[in-house]
Amino acid sequence: MKSEILYPGAFPMVRVELAEGEHIKAESGAMVACSPTIDIESKMEGGFLGALSRKFLTGEKFFFQTLRASRGAGEVLLAPTVPGEIIVMELDGVNEYMVQKDGFLAGAAGVVIDSQMQSMSRGLLGGEGFFILKMSGKGMLALNSFGAIHKIELKPGQEYIVDNSHLVAWSTTTTYSIEKATSGWVASFTSGEGFVCRFRGPGVVYIQSRNPGSFGAWVRQFIPVSQ
Amino acid sequence: MVESTPNALCFGDEFPASGAPCLVHVEDHGLTITFIPDRDGAEPRSESLRFSELTVSAGGLDHDQLVATWVGLKGQRTLYLKSPDVIRAFRQAAPDHLSQPLERAAEQVRQVRQRHRMVWSIVGGALLVVVLGLWFGSDVLVELAVDRIPVEWERKLGESTYHDFLAHQDVMKDGPAVDAVNEMIHRLTGQIPENPYTFEVTVVKSDVVNAFALPGGYIVVFTGLMKKAESGEEVAGVLAHELNHVLQRHGLERIIKQLGFVAVVSIVLGNPPGLGGMMKQLGVELMTLKFGRAQETEADLTGLELLYRAKIDPSGMITFFQRLAEKDEGRVEWLSTHPMSNARAERLKTQLAEMPKQNPEPFTFEWTKVRASQGAPPSTPP
Repeated sequence: MKSEILYPGAFPMVRVELAEGEHIKAESGAMVACSPTIDIESKMEGGFLGALSRKFLTGEKFFFQTLRASRGAGEVLLAPTVPGEIIVMELDGVNEYMVQKDGFLAGAAGVVIDSQMQSMSRGLLGGEGFFILKMSGKGMLALNSFGAIHKIELKPGQEYIVDNSHLVAWSTTTTYSIEKATSGWVASFTSGEGFVCRFRGPGVVYIQSRNPGSFGAWVRQFIPVSQ
Repeated sequence: MVESTPNALCFGDEFPASGAPCLVHVEDHGLTITFIPDRDGAEPRSESLRFSELTVSAGGLDHDQLVATWVGLKGQRTLYLKSPDVIRAFRQAAPDHLSQPLERAAEQVRQVRQRHRMVWSIVGGALLVVVLGLWFGSDVLVELAVDRIPVEWERKLGESTYHDFLAHQDVMKDGPAVDAVNEMIHRLTGQIPENPYTFEVTVVKSDVVNAFALPGGYIVVFTGLMKKAESGEEVAGVLAHELNHVLQRHGLERIIKQLGFVAVVSIVLGNPPGLGGMMKQLGVELMTLKFGRAQETEADLTGLELLYRAKIDPSGMITFFQRLAEKDEGRVEWLSTHPMSNARAERLKTQLAEMPKQNPEPFTFEWTKVRASQGAPPSTPP
C-alpha cells in the first residue's frame, strides 16, 4: 500500500495504491474516484454496537466505507468534505492517537478505530464531546483538518496551550487539562478563547489553523433568511 | 534478525517527538530496550538498564501508562510502557527501592479510575432521576397545566375538529336511533354534578363500529356500533366511557403531554436525523401509549360509576366490551383505540361487585325497534 497527497494545501486529495487483495477503510463519502478493480463496501466498523456508539456518541458516521482491491491492483482517490490539509502518518503498533470526531479520513486495514470515553471535565469543556476516536494498530492513517495542519512536538514535561476547537489529534503519551484561557471567568470568555487545553509532553499534538465552529457562525450571517 | 513488534515508546533528545518504538524486556537486573531500526537492513540497537537507574511514575492521557525515566549518556530519557504484561513483569521484578513509587503510581491510576467512575455514576444517577421524574412526575405537571386551561378554549379546540369530521359524514338528524342516544345522554349527564360542558352528540350513519369523544364535549356515535349492541345498556356503557374521557379532560391531557414531551426530548436530543430521530419518535409513542392505557382505565371506572348513578345496568358495558373483543369481525375501530384486555374486564367486574346492588331503570325505547330502524336483523347476530 502506497499513499501520496495530491495538490497539497487547501483542497488536497490522497491517492492510495492498493495491491490485489488489500483494502482500506475510509470515512463514508470520502471516495472521489477509483480504479474499476476496486469494490466499495459499506461496513459498520467495530460491529453494530460499535458503529451505533460511534454514531451516537462521537457524531461520526455509522458506516465506514471499505475500499477493496478484490479484482486486481488499483488506486483510490480520497478527499474530505471540508477544505483543509491532509496528513498521512504510519502507525507502528505502539503509537496511538486520539482524534477529534471529524478528523478521520482513511486508514489501512490494520488500523483499529475505537470510540473512547473522556473524563467528565474533558468531555464537558474540551469541545470534543464525551467520546472521541482512538486510533491504534498498525498501518497508514490519513487525517484531515479544517485549514492547515500544524504539528506541535512536545518533549517530556514540555507544555503547550491549545484552543480546544483547533485540536485535530494528539498522542496518548501526552496529558492535558482543561483551563480557563485567562485567570478570570469573564475575561476568559470575552477574550474569545473560553477554555483552552494545556498539553504536557512527551508526544505530538496536531492542530488545525481554522476553527470550524467560528467559521460556521461567520458564514451564518450571510445566509439569506428564506421567505 | 528477529522480527519483533515494539511494545513501548522511548522519548529523548535524539528521538522524534512522537517517540521511538522499542521492544522492552524485563529481566532480573533491569530492562533491556531494543530499538526498532527505522530503515530496513539496519541493525537493531540494544541498551541495558539497571533498576537502580530508574525512577517510575504513572502517565499518559488516562494515567494508565508506566513511565520510567533515567539519565543516559545522551541526556534524559523517558520510556512509556502500556502493555499490561510488561507492566506486570516490571512490578514483579522491581527491587524494593522501586516498589514504593510503583505502588504510588498504581494508586494514582486507581484514584483516577475511581474518580471517573464516581463522576460518571453521579451523572448517570442524575440523568436517571430526571428520566424517572419525567415519567412519573409528568402526570402531576400535566394535570397542573390542564387545570389552567379554561373549558372555553377546550371547546374551541374540539369544535373545529368536530365540524371538520362531520362535514364528510352522513349525519342522522332524527329517527329512533337519535332519540335513543339522546335519552341515554340525558340520563347520564343528569347525574354529573357541576358539569361545565354542554355535550353535543351526533349519530353518524356508517358501518364502522366506533364512538369517540373530542375535547370540549363533542361525541360521535356510529350506527355500526349500535347495530352490534344487543341492548341500549350496552351503547350507554360506551357513551358513559366516552363522556368520562371528556369530563376527565383526557384529550387535553394527551395533547399537552405530547407537546411537552416532544419539547423536552427536543431540548435534550436536538433534532437528530436518521436513527436518532426514529428513537425520539419511538420514545414519544411509548409515552403516549402508557398514558393512553391509564386514561382508558380511568374512563372505564368513572364510566361504570356514572352508569350506576344513572341507574343504567352497568353489566352491559362489560359484556359489550368483551363481546366486541371476542368476535373481531369487520371494522371494529373502537377496539383499536380501546384494546380490550382480560385485566381490564376483570377490573371492571371487581369494581361492579363492590357496588351495592340496585334495581336498574329500563329505557323508554325498545332496543329491537331501534336496531331494526338501522336495518339490523331482528335476531341476535351470531
